[in-house]
Amino acid sequence: MPLMKRKARPTGDIPTSSMADIAFLLLIFFLVTTVFDEERGLRIVLPEAAEEVEVSQRNILHLMIQPNGIVHVKRGESPQIDPQPASAIAAIWRQESAANPNLIAAVKTSPQAPYRFMVDVLDQLQLARADKISLQILE
Amino acid sequence: MMRKGGLKRKSKAASDIPSSSLADMAFLLLIFFMVTTTFRKEQQREVVFPDAEATQKLEEPRKDVLHVYVETDGAIYINDRLVPVENVSDVIAPLWADNRGLVVMIRSDRDVSYSRIDQILKELQAAGAVRVAFYTNLEQRMVRERR
Repeated sequence: MPLMKRKARPTGDIPTSSMADIAFLLLIFFLVTTVFDEERGLRIVLPEAAEEVEVSQRNILHLMIQPNGIVHVKRGESPQIDPQPASAIAAIWRQESAANPNLIAAVKTSPQAPYRFMVDVLDQLQLARADKISLQILE
Repeated sequence: MMRKGGLKRKSKAASDIPSSSLADMAFLLLIFFMVTTTFRKEQQREVVFPDAEATQKLEEPRKDVLHVYVETDGAIYINDRLVPVENVSDVIAPLWADNRGLVVMIRSDRDVSYSRIDQILKELQAAGAVRVAFYTNLEQRMVRERR
């Protein structure tokens, strides 16, 4: 008579083959989710301390930022002041610099104006690819 | 060749890759990365940066970037030290002398009054550090339109 089959005994060791998969999953998870804080911003090069250049008034576009964020645009020698929102500056710059390639943007910010209004105008100028920008304080 | 009856057969080389050490290796890598990762200490500063559409990534290596924090009340921090505004050029000048590729990153709160920024820019000019960047968050066009 055949003997009854022995019950398969449960193995005593922990399955280690899947352990590597788990560890690699964790590894890949951390590699993928790590974000490095990158440096970003708006670049500008200040003039050297002793550097003073005479610029003809005709080649200056005055952008006077008021404490309320309105930008008073004054074109060269004309005394006429044109109040504009900051978002309109890019279009103004494109139009003006097409007429005069030597144009310099003189950003004059009121001392009471929050910093972000200056950044808004600088942003617009950089969007419009202005490279000659001067930062001043409005007196 | 004569086969000797008593000789044992050569043990066959195991055909599978030993996978038990694989876990150890993976965990070692994991632990290595966990240990070597350094997180920049988050300062307890409530600085809200301005947004700009023209935000660009700076190509300079991290060691060439000097961060100047300006808090809402106008306090200036360079390398985590509070610096009075009139001393900014004294702090920056030796750093600029050491590293001519230095870019000064102004991380200012968006509501700081511009007079404070102007003071800092004048100090930077006095120190000779003329390469400046204003830290901004990238703004999507959609956000601007909604505002």
